[in-house]
Amino acid sequence: MNTVLSRANTIFAFTLSVMAALTFCCFLTTAMNDHLSPIKIDVNKIIVKNVQDFSTTRDKNDLGFITFDLQADLQHLFNWNMKQLFLYLTAEYTTPNNKLNQVVLWDKIIRRGENARLDYRSLHSKYYFFDDGKGLRGNQNVTLTLSWNVIPNAGTLPRISGVGAKTFQFPEEYTPGNARI
Amino acid sequence: MDAIKERLNAIPSHMDYKGQKLAEQIFQIIIIVFAVVGFAWGYVCEQFVQTVYILVAGFILSCLLTLPPWPIYRRHPLPWQKPRDDSKEVSQKESKKTGGKKKEKSK
Repeated sequence: MNTVLSRANTIFAFTLSVMAALTFCCFLTTAMNDHLSPIKIDVNKIIVKNVQDFSTTRDKNDLGFITFDLQADLQHLFNWNMKQLFLYLTAEYTTPNNKLNQVVLWDKIIRRGENARLDYRSLHSKYYFFDDGKGLRGNQNVTLTLSWNVIPNAGTLPRISGVGAKTFQFPEEYTPGNARI
Repeated sequence: MDAIKERLNAIPSHMDYKGQKLAEQIFQIIIIVFAVVGFAWGYVCEQFVQTVYILVAGFILSCLLTLPPWPIYRRHPLPWQKPRDDSKEVSQKESKKTGGKKKEKSK
């Protein structure tokens, strides 16, 4: 502590240590949150087609087209330790080929300060709903769930599923050609 | 560059020991007080960035208070003895030194 540089070094190191302790305290203030929230999903149009999936084999696979409604109020999840929420809509079902299939159809990033009250009608999926095989036609039990990945300023990044899921069925017949929804 | 360095090094920046202890206590207390106040304010405002800003303000304040060698840090200088300037003593010391060296070499 005899020279200016030595004193500056000590003060700076002490400040950084205190900053780390404050960040840990910030994490502690929100560590017990459960981040749950009810959501509401409805499905409008449901179509299944059989087309060639160019990213896999030469066979034709089932391609599902759906439009859905989505209502959720996630404003109460945001606090001073929440940087953003990564939402994703998953379709989950069973086929003879695979016991569990999960396909992400749509996602959204909600940053702190942006509107977190969702009210979508007839929303198209963002990503293709291809199946690994032909298991979508006539599938009686396809469940849509909205989940979110919590991204904090300090702490863990858990994935939480919204409360409330929607189950629907695919029709028994393919829709031919270039039918659009 | 060397001329600048020499001039910078020539500025006295020392503090005596009690002054250093006082400086350390001062900056630790200032930063901790600002950290607690900043944390409470950030919690109330629901913005962690306010906590960081208040802590940086505390850092700057403690730098201003403890980096320059203010006179309060020089109130207890070490009691050095006065320099003795006898050439007779110097030559006696030198002969003692060489005597000692000769003994070590013969070992």
